[in-house]
Amino acid sequence: MSKILIVAQKEFLETVKSKIFLVNLIIIPILVVGGIVLATKMTKKSMEGPRPAKTIVVTDLSNSLLPDFESAFQQYNKANPQRLIVIKPAITDDSASPTQQVKDEVLRGKIDAYLVIGKNVVKGKDKSYYYTKTRNMMDLVQFSTVQRLVNDAIANRRSIEYNISPQVLANIHRWVSVEQVDLSAKGEGKREEFTMFLAPFFFLFLMFTGVFSVNQQVLTSVIEEKNSRVMEVILSALSPFQLMAGKIVGLAGAGLTLVAVWGVAGYWAASFRGMSGIVTVSSLAYFVIYYILGFLLIASVLAAVGSACNTIKEAQSMMMPVMFIFIIPMVLWFNIAQHPDGLLATVLSFIPLLTPMVMILRIAAHPELSPLQIVASILLLAVSVLIAMWASAKVFRTGVLMYGKPPSLRELLRWVRYS
Amino acid sequence: MDALVLEEVAKTFSAVRAVDQLSARVPTGSIYGFLGPNGAGKTTTLRMIMDIIAPDSGRIEILGETPDSKANERIGYMPEERGLYRKMTVRDVLTYLAALKGMKRRAASQEIARWLGIMTLKDWADRKVEELSKGMQQKLQFIATVINDPDFLILDEPFSGLDPVNLDLLEGIMLRMRGAGKTVLFSTHVMEQAEKLCDFILLINKGKTVFDGTLDQIRSGYKSNAVVAELDGDAGFVRDLPMVKSTTVNGKRLEVALKESADSQELLRALVGRIRVRAFEEKVPSLHEIFVHLVGQSNE
Repeated sequence: MSKILIVAQKEFLETVKSKIFLVNLIIIPILVVGGIVLATKMTKKSMEGPRPAKTIVVTDLSNSLLPDFESAFQQYNKANPQRLIVIKPAITDDSASPTQQVKDEVLRGKIDAYLVIGKNVVKGKDKSYYYTKTRNMMDLVQFSTVQRLVNDAIANRRSIEYNISPQVLANIHRWVSVEQVDLSAKGEGKREEFTMFLAPFFFLFLMFTGVFSVNQQVLTSVIEEKNSRVMEVILSALSPFQLMAGKIVGLAGAGLTLVAVWGVAGYWAASFRGMSGIVTVSSLAYFVIYYILGFLLIASVLAAVGSACNTIKEAQSMMMPVMFIFIIPMVLWFNIAQHPDGLLATVLSFIPLLTPMVMILRIAAHPELSPLQIVASILLLAVSVLIAMWASAKVFRTGVLMYGKPPSLRELLRWVRYS
Repeated sequence: MDALVLEEVAKTFSAVRAVDQLSARVPTGSIYGFLGPNGAGKTTTLRMIMDIIAPDSGRIEILGETPDSKANERIGYMPEERGLYRKMTVRDVLTYLAALKGMKRRAASQEIARWLGIMTLKDWADRKVEELSKGMQQKLQFIATVINDPDFLILDEPFSGLDPVNLDLLEGIMLRMRGAGKTVLFSTHVMEQAEKLCDFILLINKGKTVFDGTLDQIRSGYKSNAVVAELDGDAGFVRDLPMVKSTTVNGKRLEVALKESADSQELLRALVGRIRVRAFEEKVPSLHEIFVHLVGQSNE
């Protein structure tokens, strides 16, 4: 046991001290957290900060609505002093389509939009037109504001024609707010669609990157020991199994360090957006369990592959089909997060190599996932880990002293059976 | 008490019988040569002794124990395929290997300092292994092998690739080990070193014992009753002496085959009166010749 720890300690320190680990450790959270924080600040600023007043030139073909519009926009401007929209009557006002000069002014940004109100709009006939150049999201928001204000003004005019007092009309139109409450969330808290998908994705990303960024090192270190011919020197001091186990334990430790740092950074970023509630203690606990088991499973496969190969290139081409499997949850994550109890999600959960990623995705998306499935998947995963380690130890024992052409899959299976 | 006992050890790889019912005993305190052509099964046997691969059948006992990684803590092993972690510093590599051999941290660091001093590598302790010259890396490999002060040294083809300085160094280590009552076993196909160092020799071919015994024993079977002499002047008369069967001129040297009952001392007496004798020795077959002969025989 102590020899496993000596190897584990060396592998851990060597990995943690490597440049690539530091880059992973620091750069990725900075990019992710920085991205989130920056995006939040930017949207906040553009959503809430003051914007220069917008000018809209209006041609009123009905020849009667302009005063109503002016009062509607005045009211709006009073309520939104940072989002002023100024309307100006057009000088030439007998044509439905804008002149070239007006078009140019819109395109050059001299005026922001050119609004043509149809002749019989009050009677519900004729279309109105809003000529503009859309530059960003805020322009779209402004369009819906203008549309709303125009409609409000026209509705007002109609109410007068039908002899309904504006007060009554206001009462008829009074907005009733309906609030969405998610019963599945703990404490019946408010949950938005957006955050519902953010947490599962966060966990999936953490699982995928955490498992693979460090696990690659299993491959590298075995191949390096073979290439530098230090392998047999080492094997005279400890058994192949001890060597393999030590490597895996040490690297799992490095991997845990990595995801712990990332997890804390992610949590901090989430709380910055006021979404810390989406990460629950139980989902964290499950994450750790699935992470460790998933890491061990993939690490044993990689150790076996590494032992059978002489170069990283050989190993990578041998790993290609296996790596392909891991694309599946990355491609299907949205579907799984949307239907965490669906058939697809359930089936994928019980493919051992995918279990950690799919299960953590489902648990984060659906906190009330059947405990039976969770326990069953953990058991299946644990058994798979034992089988993989047993088989890998056999391949490892034979592979580490083999030089030359890498074995075929059939030969690998023979090593498992006979060695 | 024998340091190593092999009893009918066998190992087969797919269809190849690498080691075939091999038995041997290595006495404690000896230098034991393990000879044989390439592919004879030497490395396989050494790996089984080190518990790196398991024998199919037979029994191995080393220093009174069954081979395992615990027993290996008392053994220094230098494999044929050898190297060290290139990216680690000299000190870190040795510390790591010492820890794996079960050494305590403080004892290890003292031993490392001592050996680096002996091998004049002190100034390189904190440099990376890859920065060392090939010769220095070989010295480092020796240190790595003996760092745990082993009772038994097992070396697989230790002389391959060594320069004369490191060759002497390694021979010195082996002789000092024997002087301290420890046991050395090495495999080789370089016969000069075996001839110079070994107390006992085990010659194997195709996984089987061809010869097992001391150097004198192996030679005595190959007495040729011949003499090699270096003579000044005309030596034509030698051929006609009564005890001589035939002569061959070999450069400056004259090889004289004697009749079966004749004694080489008679020849010497006959020579001394008539010609100046610069050198005179009984012709002993070299280990190399015996090796080639025996292996050839066992291949038939």
